[in-house]
Amino acid sequence: MSLSRRNFVIATSVAAAGSTLLSACSSGNAGGGSGSTPSDGATSYTGAKVTVGTKEDSTGPAPEIAGAKKGGTIYGLAPDDFSHLDPQRIYYAYNSTVALLLHRCLTGYKIDSTGHQKLVGDLATDTGTASADNKTWTFTLKEGLKWEDGTELTVEDVRHGIERSWASFITEGANYVQSALTGKGGKWRDAYEGPYKGKHLSQIVTDKAKRTITFKLAEAKPDFNFTLAMHSYAAVSPKLDTKEKYDKKPAACGPYKIKAHTTDKSMVLTRNKNWDPATDSIRNAYPDGFEFDFGIETLDSTDRLIADQGKDQYAVSIYKGVPAERIQKVLTDPELKKRSFNGLLTGIYYYAINTKRVTDLKVRQALNHAWPLQQIRQIYGGPSAGDFATSILSPDVIGYKKYDAYGKLKTPQGDPAAAKKLLKEAGKEGMKIVYAYPQDPTYDKTKVVIENALKAAGFTPVIKPVDSTSYYDQIQQVDNSYDVMWFGWSPDWPTAYTVVQPLFDGGAIGNGMNNISQTDVSWINDGIKKNAVIADQAKAGEAWQALDERIMKEVAPIIPETFSRRYYVYGSKVGGAQFDPNFSATLLYKTFVKA
Amino acid sequence: MSTPFLSVRDLRVHFSTHDGVVKAVDGLSFDLQKGRTLGIVGESGSGKSVTNMAILGLHDPRNTTMDGEILLDGKELITAGERELEELRGNKMSMIFQDALASLSPYHTIGAQIAETYRKHTGASKREARARAVEMLRRVGIPQPDIRVDDYPHQFSGGMRQRAMIAMALVCDPELLIADEPTTALDVTVQAQIMDLLKDLQQEFGTAIIFITHDLGVIADIADDVLVMYGGRCVEKGSKKSVLTMPEHPYTLGLLGSMPSLDGPVDVPLSPIPGSPPSLLNPPSGCRFHPRCPFAEKVSGGLCSTERPALEITDGRGSACHLTPEQKSELFADYATSRTN
Amino acid sequence: MLRFLIRRTLGAAVILLIISALVFVLFYAAPRDPARIACGKVCTPETLALVKKNLGIDHPLPVQYWDWLKGLFVGRDYTAFGHCDAPCLGYSFQNREPVLNTILDRFPATISLALGSSAVFLIFGIGTGMLAAVKQGKTLDKVASSASLIASSMQIYVVGVFATYLFVDQLHWLDRANYTPFTDNPGAWAKGLLVPWLVLSLIFTANYTRMTRSQMVESLSEDYVRTARAKGLSRRTVFFRFAWRGAMGPIVTIFGLDLGTLLGGAIITEQTFSIQGLGRLSVKAVSTNDLPMLLGVVLVAAAAIVVFNIIVDAVYALIDPRVRLA
Repeated sequence: MSLSRRNFVIATSVAAAGSTLLSACSSGNAGGGSGSTPSDGATSYTGAKVTVGTKEDSTGPAPEIAGAKKGGTIYGLAPDDFSHLDPQRIYYAYNSTVALLLHRCLTGYKIDSTGHQKLVGDLATDTGTASADNKTWTFTLKEGLKWEDGTELTVEDVRHGIERSWASFITEGANYVQSALTGKGGKWRDAYEGPYKGKHLSQIVTDKAKRTITFKLAEAKPDFNFTLAMHSYAAVSPKLDTKEKYDKKPAACGPYKIKAHTTDKSMVLTRNKNWDPATDSIRNAYPDGFEFDFGIETLDSTDRLIADQGKDQYAVSIYKGVPAERIQKVLTDPELKKRSFNGLLTGIYYYAINTKRVTDLKVRQALNHAWPLQQIRQIYGGPSAGDFATSILSPDVIGYKKYDAYGKLKTPQGDPAAAKKLLKEAGKEGMKIVYAYPQDPTYDKTKVVIENALKAAGFTPVIKPVDSTSYYDQIQQVDNSYDVMWFGWSPDWPTAYTVVQPLFDGGAIGNGMNNISQTDVSWINDGIKKNAVIADQAKAGEAWQALDERIMKEVAPIIPETFSRRYYVYGSKVGGAQFDPNFSATLLYKTFVKA
Repeated sequence: MSTPFLSVRDLRVHFSTHDGVVKAVDGLSFDLQKGRTLGIVGESGSGKSVTNMAILGLHDPRNTTMDGEILLDGKELITAGERELEELRGNKMSMIFQDALASLSPYHTIGAQIAETYRKHTGASKREARARAVEMLRRVGIPQPDIRVDDYPHQFSGGMRQRAMIAMALVCDPELLIADEPTTALDVTVQAQIMDLLKDLQQEFGTAIIFITHDLGVIADIADDVLVMYGGRCVEKGSKKSVLTMPEHPYTLGLLGSMPSLDGPVDVPLSPIPGSPPSLLNPPSGCRFHPRCPFAEKVSGGLCSTERPALEITDGRGSACHLTPEQKSELFADYATSRTN
Repeated sequence: MLRFLIRRTLGAAVILLIISALVFVLFYAAPRDPARIACGKVCTPETLALVKKNLGIDHPLPVQYWDWLKGLFVGRDYTAFGHCDAPCLGYSFQNREPVLNTILDRFPATISLALGSSAVFLIFGIGTGMLAAVKQGKTLDKVASSASLIASSMQIYVVGVFATYLFVDQLHWLDRANYTPFTDNPGAWAKGLLVPWLVLSLIFTANYTRMTRSQMVESLSEDYVRTARAKGLSRRTVFFRFAWRGAMGPIVTIFGLDLGTLLGGAIITEQTFSIQGLGRLSVKAVSTNDLPMLLGVVLVAAAAIVVFNIIVDAVYALIDPRVRLA
């Protein structure tokens, strides 16, 4: 529950592409990765490369971690239990942290010690083959895949996982595959009645003998194999499907299975003896098991990890970062710093400019100049809170490149002179600007520095706090009366389409949709269509990056603000702990117990 | 003359308060024999209750200093330890209070309260003590004592409650009973009954009684001897008859004069003593009564305001006043006649 | 007494009924739609309708209330969960577990916290108050009063964290706060709750010290206390059998109410020490718009307070014979 509300936008529209929640990392600057330091914990990620892996990369076992040995138990602390264990009902990042240990999808992300990752085949032998028009995707299943009870995992299980998302009791998962298969956008439920009466989706073709599964999409999706890595599309065996009960006790095909689970109290995982490491190029499974404790408040768990007593020496915080009260301590204490790691959350926080009301480009550029990024970040907690954002794409997206169209990195405190100059040129000195934000203690503070900066830049700011529970509903009204609106966006998988299309496509303007800047520019719409069908994701990334830069320079529909950073501490006897770039949590399957 | 049962010598009780030292009792002396009743009379603030509490040693030692001597059957009480005093209280010397409702615990039955005194001092069993309580209630005239013994104080009428308190005070056959305005809150008929009861009990057991009141009518009824207190001091002492018929102190005279008289003329105005009781923090110098005394100027040399008059006792009769006997007979007679005419 | 109890119990039932109705109304009056929250990240109108149906909130308010009420007495049938026996408090919107089970699971922790800290603050609070009353004006009294004032201004979340840091992490004198059921291991139960008991009782101790002191001082100046002394009873007997008896009434009353409130959950204490009791459950229920859980927790807390109100009145009548039970 926590992650989504605080860090990610709740996307209300589903249509076309999507809102993605995700992560992936993008290359830091063209050409080499940004400084990669060994994953000893003290690394500071600025973004990692995401590439598409080969069949080689998809072949298990996963590379050994230096110094790691099998055995022992790793303890996990969290304030809340996982809300869903049924993969089709998993969408929030924190549920995915445990899903990584239990469930497997056709594809997955192979992450190295520096946080760089490759999309590889998890259940599939590779990242799939797309037809020339990118409407047909075929995957071949690996051999030797088994469920925790020893039964074979087949392509029919993969199909079942997708088909059961039509069940009436499943309402929480992602919708992309369903929409792509049926072509019915938000009304995909109408196209099929679910698998429990024996009917199957005609768009999925399986060949049990050949171990292949083919998807026939209604639209071209060159990055479909990324979408299939989402836990919402993990495999489920029809024989082991206990429907509603599956949410509390799912069957595992991953390296661990659930031994015991007391809702909201604790969970014990033990080795799944039927998981063959040779089939898995992603996961290591050093600990004999995991023990999770729920109900531990974040401050309390952080203090426990800092105190490092008894069993806590073998403990990690599963998905909750170090709270503001302890950040200073972690940053300044060398011993603590050694057993901590941090990383950037996926996505970006920004301010959308309503281009239908603020019609003059110069004014929007002036806003970009004026915005006080540094003062805002100070309120968030200072430099450790995150990095200044100056682009639409975030470092976790393929193709990301750092550029600074408005000199924000030089003058992050805002440049009122430059802003005033532009306003004068536009003849709009003293222009009224209505700024909307969700009521919240933090944003009640940032509005002050924003108001001051706008005044200094020659604007007449009008501040409009909006009740946080209905904020999105209000700003997603096409005829709202706001000029600048606080916003945030996080991709569900690391391709730029999932960012640019829902936010800047002219076709994505409407009530409840996410193009709240109401950008409708023909070359942007065309660019989106063109880039959407580039099959090579690396090449696509470059094209998207160029589009990103052009949009910011020639349209400036948003004011980028922050790429957030999160810190984690872990016990002194935990090895291999690193930042999960996809879910911003502790990557559990890399941990091991130090001797 | 045998040694008196109770002997108070030059009793001083001083309270230390925020505003200074309050001299509540400032040199009081008197004797009491067994079987006799001493009536102590005075207005509020005269020190009469303080005296009683001092005899029982009930003052808070943290802010009270007591000097002088209190001898109860030869035992000195001021210097006695708490344990010794606990032995004596409720046992050899007992006290009954003015407001029986407030003075009895609302949380315990009458029977329990009577019994506990008995058990404390005699070590009797619960059953024995309860039987004794029933007997005491019967003796003080409470009907159906075996049922009422289990009632709570608030279930008794005013008069019955006072009787019950008397029963409680007498349960261990005390030799000294101090009654602190026990009838003030009761109506006249009940008052009379209580007084009769006390007289009967004194008759039967030979108890020495100190009876404190501001009501001269009560004194006339029950006392053998009278002690008049004013401003913490004794101003007149003597037998009831002599004090009430031939007062030797202007204050006593004033008290008598301010009383309505049943058999006197109806149209004689009451003459209350002018002024108000003296401050015990900063008492008047010399004779404490002099600011209100109608005869103060008659004393030569202005002694009244400078010198404390000594209490001269002869044969148990005396007063503390600077007026000469001749002046008194002259002045008081006028006063008396103006009353009876 | 019996009539009194019957009448008050009926009254309590009515109150709880009204409270449950109020919760329903207030819940829906709030701008947050529980279906939206349970809906997840991608909420199309179709999905929203499905969620509403699954949660059982696709009916009008009065129908929902009636269904819930019926469930309390005769049980209820759910499409997703099957039959739920009476008293059925429904299923949590959030974790789809039976509300009654969850509440029963959390209650022991809250009871433990309440009883343990009660013992501490009663002993220390009343004890210190009595001492202060006896030593009125002396140093002990002044120290006790000042200490009370300071203690009552403390914040649990500050003191708690500090106490853990000092006594657990640095000095290793005490165990880290955690809840072990009494039935599992009484020793561990006590050790794990010691720090929370001490911290939670801090504020109460201060109150009870001051209250006891002032009640005792007043009581000690009562006439019947003077009489008791005049009867020759020992200081100790007078103090406890008479003075304390008089002071007890208001203190018992306040305690009864405090205990009732504590049994509804000590939110901040539970939060600070990560103890899973009713307090945290209620906070979670509010923040996740979990109506069934909210109703369940509110009812339990309200019932605790109402029941203790009745108990306190009854006990007061037992303490003071002058009081007639109306």
